[in-house]
Amino acid sequence: MTDVTIGQPVRRSEDERFLTGRGRYIDDINLEGQARAVVLRSVYAHACIKNIDASGALAMEGVLLVVTGEDWIAEGFGPMPTKTAIRKNRDGSELSEPPRHCLAIGRVRYVGEPVALVVAETDPIARDALDLIDVDYESLDAVTDAVEALAPDAPQLWDDIPGNLCIDFELGDREGVEKAFAEADHVITLDLENNRVTAVPIEPRGCVGSYDPETDTYLLYNSTQNVHAIRDTLAENVFGIDKEKIRHIAPDVGGGFGVKNSAYPEPPLVLYAAKKLGRPVKWINNRSESFLSDTHGRDQISKVELALDGDGTFRALRTDTIGNLGAYCATIGPFTPTGGSARTQGGPYDFPVMYYRGRAVFINTGPMDPYRGAGRPEATFQTERIIEYAARQLGLDPIEIRRKNLMRPEKLPHKTSMGLNIDCGDFPKVFERTLKLADPGSFAERAEQIKTAGRRFGFAIAPYLECTGGGPKEFAGVAFGADGTVSLSVGSQSTGMGHETSMAQLLAARLGIPFERVEYHQADTDKTPIGGGHGGSRGMELGGNAVAQAAGEVIEKASGLAAHLLQSKAADLTFEGGSFKDSGSGASVSMVEVIEASFDSERLPDDLEPGCLDTGSTFERGEISIPNGCHAAAVEVDPKTGAILLLGYWVVDDFGTIINPLLADGQVMGGVAQGIGQVLTENIVFDDSGQLITGSLMDYGLPRADGVPDMVIEYYEGAPTKKNPLGVKGAGEAGCVGSLPAVVNAVLDALKEFGVVHIDIPLTSEKVWRAVQDQGAHDPKGLIEGAL
Amino acid sequence: MQDFEYQKPKTVTEAGDAFNAQSDGSFLAGGQTLIPVLKQGLAMPSGLIDLAGIEDLQGITATESTLTVGAMTTHARVAASPEVQKAIPALAGLAGGIGDPQVRNRGTLGGSLANNDPSADYPAAVLALSAVVVTDKRRIPADGFFTGMFETALDEGELITDVEFPVAERAAYAKFPNPASRYAVAGVFVARVDGAVRVAVTGAGPGVFRAAEMEAALDKDFQADALEGIAVSEADLIADIHASAGYRAHLIGVMAGRAVDAANANVGAA
Repeated sequence: MTDVTIGQPVRRSEDERFLTGRGRYIDDINLEGQARAVVLRSVYAHACIKNIDASGALAMEGVLLVVTGEDWIAEGFGPMPTKTAIRKNRDGSELSEPPRHCLAIGRVRYVGEPVALVVAETDPIARDALDLIDVDYESLDAVTDAVEALAPDAPQLWDDIPGNLCIDFELGDREGVEKAFAEADHVITLDLENNRVTAVPIEPRGCVGSYDPETDTYLLYNSTQNVHAIRDTLAENVFGIDKEKIRHIAPDVGGGFGVKNSAYPEPPLVLYAAKKLGRPVKWINNRSESFLSDTHGRDQISKVELALDGDGTFRALRTDTIGNLGAYCATIGPFTPTGGSARTQGGPYDFPVMYYRGRAVFINTGPMDPYRGAGRPEATFQTERIIEYAARQLGLDPIEIRRKNLMRPEKLPHKTSMGLNIDCGDFPKVFERTLKLADPGSFAERAEQIKTAGRRFGFAIAPYLECTGGGPKEFAGVAFGADGTVSLSVGSQSTGMGHETSMAQLLAARLGIPFERVEYHQADTDKTPIGGGHGGSRGMELGGNAVAQAAGEVIEKASGLAAHLLQSKAADLTFEGGSFKDSGSGASVSMVEVIEASFDSERLPDDLEPGCLDTGSTFERGEISIPNGCHAAAVEVDPKTGAILLLGYWVVDDFGTIINPLLADGQVMGGVAQGIGQVLTENIVFDDSGQLITGSLMDYGLPRADGVPDMVIEYYEGAPTKKNPLGVKGAGEAGCVGSLPAVVNAVLDALKEFGVVHIDIPLTSEKVWRAVQDQGAHDPKGLIEGAL
Repeated sequence: MQDFEYQKPKTVTEAGDAFNAQSDGSFLAGGQTLIPVLKQGLAMPSGLIDLAGIEDLQGITATESTLTVGAMTTHARVAASPEVQKAIPALAGLAGGIGDPQVRNRGTLGGSLANNDPSADYPAAVLALSAVVVTDKRRIPADGFFTGMFETALDEGELITDVEFPVAERAAYAKFPNPASRYAVAGVFVARVDGAVRVAVTGAGPGVFRAAEMEAALDKDFQADALEGIAVSEADLIADIHASAGYRAHLIGVMAGRAVDAANANVGAA
């Protein structure tokens, strides 16, 4: 039995289960009598459905059911609406949202769009039956580029949404920025692309559903990040039933990264089929289908403009982004290129004024939704790239220009033009510490050796500032068992990041009870009344604070019982180190003893019952918190081939209070690896007709362990936020936020003698080689103005 | 995936008989291409004849002039073999750079050659070293073995048993890998055997091919500098999202130079 403290690197208690094959993932769940479902997906990016003839499939032995869009509409089921908080155009009107039904109705708008559901006795039968469904398509012109989709003659996806425009959003001080630009000594402009990627969680999506006619209720096991919100969408929007009619459970989830935040079509289709057939139905996506049907992320083109004084002082920042939405608004799809990318513009720098415009555009691809960071990596990339580019254009030192413009701690709290309330932090200290760890001055000799070998050395530093997100409330329930176990149920969710350890650690540390006694539960709509799941780096900020609050309530309740046991007054007791102590008599009783007493009728007072220490507590966030930090990267580039090798990586993060540094390290490393992947090798590519080219891991270049360097990671804990009682700021996405510009700017630093000032990501070897060949020939306004 | 029969013979003869008994049989070596293709329903053989149980197809033997590798020898075994490392270190290095550890522990020399993927590594070694592909019916010189994209001189049901590699005076392989698959975007195997230089290129064209102009230049002077000014035509090269034909042509030159440098360095080290 172990005593744990907050800040201790407790090793992950769930790992033995995961590493020995005893995790319980969605495909491990089999309900008695279950049938198997497979989705027929569109092979066209844009086409009318003239007719669907499923008679061949239905005639096949073992096929139980085929559901088409017409069947779906005939049942009266509703579409899945977007739940984005950003809904207003610049002119005050509402965004344009097309209906997103679970099956295509009369027209398909992307390759992979669900056209029909086939349910059969087995998965192979269902897959074979797909070939026997005859869909009569009439192909339409497709558009797969967001800038092109805005052009007047572009193919139109929705008859009642002219110009393919979902939303035209703005934030900040437009006039102030215009004035600052007019007065500034320099205005630097750069168009840049943030390429389209997908999360590729190791466990594909899947679900198992059943229906109980006696109680008229559904049970849904689903590989998801957000059981409560998705249950609400299914119940209230799709089926039109009370949400209590659906119990939604996520078992162990093998990675989410935002891609499992969405309400997807398959789970409601499975529930419908289960009810219709009177037996459970299971559906598991394979990897190829995942590339087609999982939401994708990023995919923005931006014009970024920076106004500076002659001495390099920042005056204003203006960003105009065109974001791709895919063919529909997914769960919060329109949020990312609008509010999501706007809020943290300017990062930790002291910008007097900023302005952001973001348009979200429909094109003939699968829907976009959050991917680790959901706008903050994009904003940081825009900010850090324009600063690096400006430094190169103006001949300023990229370290000095950043040092000069970082917001000083005495300026805090500060509300930015984007409405972001930056309460605390010490950005210069974090920046200097990162520089000290990386020590770029020490690289001179190595850089020479690398150059002698025909390659080039590069280094860059990238401060970042982001913010948390996700649902603003969270629940934690604590229930004690007579056997000494403590059941902790939390509405936030781990999809592999280790809450089974960190939340238990937090509760055990606060109560002063052995860590091993805590049994952690999550992601079950029957276990917690509310739950915000996973997303927006909210785990510790929301779930952690709910646990801490619940622990406080337990201590409060326990102090009454402790006073009874000690024959003291509760007011005379102090709780410290897991024991209640009477300050007068010096007598003490431990929390463990109080818990035991709560199940012992001999020791319980008459007015208390066993279980009297149990509690359920809802924590509500006042304001989102502001994680920040600084990344640095060292690379070598082979100008003859364009190959890039990362040599070193350094991170200093201000996540406020660190609950478990080992788990925080894991979050940072994973995020940095995903950033490296996006910058170097990951890229979702469609051809002009909307067919997905990168449909497998043979073409979609995930980062591998041998391409990710060892990282030096430190935490600055000198500025815990007062926005929440734990003082935590959120750690889950920051690695992805800082790494895009750090790596790109380091590569461009390596190429400076060739005059290369910009390459759009991913920095494929061919693009790097060609940039060297072209000696830096580059059109900074080539992506938007030239294309429209 | 369609149902199929599965057989695991103990000898080459039994394997041939099993193949002939099938209407549409397929030999299974390491399965690194065949199994994914089966799962996608792109191949639907009536029966799979698993060669993993045939001891005669395993193993590595070396004489002073020839290194013989059994067709079912895995890449990992070739990479780790002291015999290969001593006789033709470039071959061990090539095998150690194929795919990833999982692929190297399952994939085999014979499987790779019979499949003749245009981006596979082994065909470059076989062609540059002028190896002989030995089958259950005959001996096929490398120059006649690779006949096109995924095409070889193997007859229906003909089984590779061994590959005989001449021990080279100098040899090295340099590859620029695809970042996702780690197949070659451009891989060049350079070898000097009995005084004659051969340069084989994989990954860049529709199949492995020899670079005659490079061979002629290196015959005169086996130094990377000798390759300067030799432009590889991009006309017959492949282009995809990872590399245009022009970039591949450029990479062939860079990889050839690096292979020559490595071949000369290998000798220095020995």
